[in-house]
Amino acid sequence: MAAYGLFRSFSSGFSTVWPLLTRSALFSPLRLAPTPYYGRTIASSSRLSAALKFTDKHEWVRVEDNGTGTVGISNFAQEALGDVVYCGLPEVGTQLAQQDEFGALESVKAASELYSPLTGEVVEVNTLLADKPGLVNKSCYKDGWLMKMTIANPAELDALMDETAYERYIRSIED
Amino acid sequence: MPAMRRAMIPLARRRSGGGTVYHDLGNLNLTFFASKKAYDRQRNLKVVTEALRRVCPELDVQATDRFDILLKGHHKISGTASRLSRKSSYHHCTLLHSADRSALSSLLRPSCTGIQSNATPSVPSPVANLTDHAPSLQWEELLEALVQQYNSEFGLTSALTPVSPSDESLFPGVGNMEAELRSWEWTFGKTPKFRVETQLELRDEQLAAGCSAYLHMEVKNGLVESCRMDIPANWLPLRLSSTLSEVLLGERFCPHRAAAALTVFLRSESGQLHRRLCNLCEVLLAVMG
Repeated sequence: MAAYGLFRSFSSGFSTVWPLLTRSALFSPLRLAPTPYYGRTIASSSRLSAALKFTDKHEWVRVEDNGTGTVGISNFAQEALGDVVYCGLPEVGTQLAQQDEFGALESVKAASELYSPLTGEVVEVNTLLADKPGLVNKSCYKDGWLMKMTIANPAELDALMDETAYERYIRSIED
Repeated sequence: MPAMRRAMIPLARRRSGGGTVYHDLGNLNLTFFASKKAYDRQRNLKVVTEALRRVCPELDVQATDRFDILLKGHHKISGTASRLSRKSSYHHCTLLHSADRSALSSLLRPSCTGIQSNATPSVPSPVANLTDHAPSLQWEELLEALVQQYNSEFGLTSALTPVSPSDESLFPGVGNMEAELRSWEWTFGKTPKFRVETQLELRDEQLAAGCSAYLHMEVKNGLVESCRMDIPANWLPLRLSSTLSEVLLGERFCPHRAAAALTVFLRSESGQLHRRLCNLCEVLLAVMG
């Protein structure tokens, strides 16, 4: 579990490994296992597509192994926005309550506000988006992630939609 | 920027994105507030173009698919920006009635030519005032026509009501909002990373001598992240050029802040070196606008 957590952190930039581990020790309600949990490695490939939870404002959040939540916008949202030309994202350390506005994405359509799916603190912001805002369109669930935050209140996740419920929701608004 | 400071024109950054505009009392700003569902920029622009055609039937005005309004097919008289929130939206646009065209073009011209970045390129358009082509169009007449057309388009019967946008009792918190929109952190501190690469022309008036020096600077979030100056060693000792570069690191890309940081450094030298350092600082500050 710990080894896997390390691998996941490495893929987003080695320099962020230690700060993420320290922060999660302070803030995360989930604890890193003190010994490698071999039983989990068989499930590791399915963890790479760990369950996404969705808000009715078309943001998604994915809980990472270190207990932080990665946040982005859904495919429905990126299509509706059009080509993103600028991402206005928060400063690391910003405290957010659920539904707080945390930034905006600018496209030909408008500057569209972003709302926090959960309560927590911003621990990382996707700096690639400064030079490549189009990643939000091209890879909204992977490379186009917007920010990572601590999860102060895990119960909030239960009230969010899973993928099936979200798909049903989209169909209902499209009609 | 220098032209703006000389003319004491305030700068603010809006939350609706898009390009830079120049506003004076001859440039009408229209904002259409609607629910997110009712967000429709073309419909709002139709209010403007129909109103214009009513007061001046001979005017050839057309909204484009980029939400500009063009006069005679090529003079831009209006540009648009907008913001969407959870349930609501606003769409605002300009309308050039009788703005000061020379101020507009001098203030919107970049003062630093060596800037490179990944920011969306600004597309300058030839502009015109409505009064250039319809000289008899009065401001009040234009406002009345817009109100009438707005009511007609949206099936309303509202009268034109003057409000003061700076009235804190009507709009609580507006003072704070204004301060934030004008703050350095919001206007410049979110600037995407950019590079300045340019030749500095240095002069020593006393000896009637000069030389060229190459400047390479990287600025991120409005702060100098790196600075390199290739100044011939026989003009200024390398230790001075490199120390000067170091002084600028972490400072705002702003002539006032840079000048303050450099003042202390300048005091350490005298004579020819001091003279040349002062000239270098002057030239550098000019690059920063």
